[in-house]
Amino acid sequence: MIEDSAFALQGLVKRFDTKVAVDGVDLAVPAGSFFGLLGPNGAGKTTTLSMAVGLLRPDAGRALVLGHDVWQDPVRAKSLIGVMPDGVRLFDRLDGTELLTYQGLLRGMAPDVIDARVTELLDVLALTDAGRTLVIDYSAGMKKKIALACALLHAPRLLVLDEPFEAVDPVSGAAIRDILTRYVAGGGTVIFSSHVLEVVERLCTHVAIMANGRISTVGTLDAVRDGRSLEEAFVAVVGGRTSTGSELSWL
Amino acid sequence: MALTFARLKLRVLRNGFRGRPGKIALFVIGLLCALGYGSMAALFFLVPYLPDGPDWAAVIPAFGGTALVLGWILMPLVWFGVDETLEPGRFAMLPLPRTVLLRGLLIAALLGVPAFGTLLATSGLAIGAGIAGGPLPAVVAAVGVLLGLLLCVVVSRAVTSGFSRALRSRRTRDLAAVVLAVLAASLGPLQFLLTSGAQQVGTQRLAALADVLGWTPLAAPYVVGLDAVQGRWAAVAVRLAVTVVTILLLAWWWSRSLESAMVGTAGGGEVRVRAATGAPVARFFGRARQPRTAYGAMVVRELRYWVRDVRRRASLITFAVIGVFLPVVMNLGPGAGGNAVAQGVNGGSMVLVGALAGLGIANQFGYDGTAYAMHVVSGVPGRLELRARTVAYSWYIVPLLLGLAVLNAVLRGDLLLLPVMVGTLFAAYGTGLACAMHVSVWAAYSLPENQNPFAINTGTGVAKSFLAMAAWLAGMVLALPVLLLVLLGGSVGAVLALPVGLAYAAGAIWLGLLTAGDILDHRQPELLAAITPRT
Repeated sequence: MIEDSAFALQGLVKRFDTKVAVDGVDLAVPAGSFFGLLGPNGAGKTTTLSMAVGLLRPDAGRALVLGHDVWQDPVRAKSLIGVMPDGVRLFDRLDGTELLTYQGLLRGMAPDVIDARVTELLDVLALTDAGRTLVIDYSAGMKKKIALACALLHAPRLLVLDEPFEAVDPVSGAAIRDILTRYVAGGGTVIFSSHVLEVVERLCTHVAIMANGRISTVGTLDAVRDGRSLEEAFVAVVGGRTSTGSELSWL
Repeated sequence: MALTFARLKLRVLRNGFRGRPGKIALFVIGLLCALGYGSMAALFFLVPYLPDGPDWAAVIPAFGGTALVLGWILMPLVWFGVDETLEPGRFAMLPLPRTVLLRGLLIAALLGVPAFGTLLATSGLAIGAGIAGGPLPAVVAAVGVLLGLLLCVVVSRAVTSGFSRALRSRRTRDLAAVVLAVLAASLGPLQFLLTSGAQQVGTQRLAALADVLGWTPLAAPYVVGLDAVQGRWAAVAVRLAVTVVTILLLAWWWSRSLESAMVGTAGGGEVRVRAATGAPVARFFGRARQPRTAYGAMVVRELRYWVRDVRRRASLITFAVIGVFLPVVMNLGPGAGGNAVAQGVNGGSMVLVGALAGLGIANQFGYDGTAYAMHVVSGVPGRLELRARTVAYSWYIVPLLLGLAVLNAVLRGDLLLLPVMVGTLFAAYGTGLACAMHVSVWAAYSLPENQNPFAINTGTGVAKSFLAMAAWLAGMVLALPVLLLVLLGGSVGAVLALPVGLAYAAGAIWLGLLTAGDILDHRQPELLAAITPRT
């Protein structure tokens, strides 16, 4: 199971001060799957993904990308993944083209390849019109798109995206969905975190639900839904309070 | 209501410390420094009240007070930043009358290490007045001291918040930061000039100047104690009135700018979109002749950031001003002749400035903030990263240092000194860089990503800049062999200074890159965590 998965997490643990943010996460993401990581705010999604891509050192556990350990063999592992972190700034005093070019050069890509891909990516993501506007002056949605472009540029085999659909308008959202769907159809693997259940339901082949730093449920979309809607399944797993109708009556 | 603000401020401070022993330790160090300097200054302020003190002591309250107030105006703008623990913008949604908010923020601002240090320092005035004149002058002096503290706090708040209003758009803000950097950076050298000038002018002129200052808000609250002791009650009343009126005016200005600070930066002027033309890679490099690799890309990006990032630019300009003035002032002082002392001062000033130049990269990762994550996920090797950053920084600093050496040689009228100066200067630059590199990897700190370009995080920032001071010292000490060669080596030393100095610098930088680079490879996630602002 672990061997043929594109992405595997084994016993990841992270503590902040005394709080355990991630408490032993095991996850196997099959190659070619479109994997959604769900969970309420504070469930540990971002912490898990940060540890999985080398941004945050885990207290225990391993993260394997196509068989390469992110923390033992970081150079090889990092070359195979494209990452879009959430809540992270970009080098925003460059304009969009400069930023993408910079990312390409950092990844050691050939200049002519960079030229072709940057132009095409900006075009597809409708960012060409921004011209020389610095990324710091971009809207939130445009920043998401340029960050996604940075993750895609070196044609990685695995994409790790943290909240790719947050603050994105419907048109850009559709464009991103379209790109990701084609990427998976071409043999790539995507894992992304989200709490937009509707998008997850529409796109994903596999789903994992996190709560309180642990994976509560994992499996194919149909297995997790088990005849219910994904929202019902999610609430059942996470355990939200149900309304009695009498509270907040003063509103 | 005001008490609520005070409690809130203390609570925010305490929560910031929770689970961070390092931060607590650094805060305590800051507190001890304030205690040390404050008590020293307090003793100094006592001198004019001594029965048989020197006759020039009478000017101490006026000049000391002026220095304090000026410090409160300029220091936050460029050097330390303002403590924005309670940021006005956070209260925008609460239905608070402006006066209540103002009073609360003022009280919160009074609860801090700088205010404590100032109060401690000036308390010497009240104690002295009590010793010399009894209880009534002591009370008058104490009122003056408290009003002075209020003045200091209000003026620093009013100035920073007034400026951040004027600096709505990024472009004007960048410009203003630069202007302020020049202003504040010239403050130190100016002081040098004043003190060296004072020795020549004589006590009488100084007393006249102190007399004038005593009637301005800069020193008025601090000289009332002396007046009271000597029974000049009319002067006391006028001076206190001057102070109170100034405080009220400043508070009014502050409250005006506070409102717009709370509204925020919505709508930052018109945006002109210029089309991007040309192939991306060619456009990225522009006229820069760097290799088309990760290394070249980082050099170009850093070169651009030293110009485009206002904080970096401000630090470059601050250094430029200090770097030009410091050696000039030191060398044109009393013993500007060709004797051994002058030679020592000259060499020492070169070492001082050279090591200071290296310090510019001490928080190089902090400037980038979380954007550094891109380097982490791309797996940039540590040595390569540091080499690119060092090269880009030196691109700006090396010409500056060269110009500085030439300027000094010309001013001393001895161009033959040039090779010696350049050798010493660059040796110290190399060792300073090597030390600062390690500080940048071990002790990076986050800079807040808010709209006030002068804000820093309480505690960590100030405290970690002490580590930069340590790196400065270490850089100077490490450069001593070259300085000793120059000073003790006679003509042989003079000939060898340039080649030895340059080789020494190259060796130091190379060693620094190797060691700090390897550490960086193992510390990337920790470094990223250190420069991530805590929200």
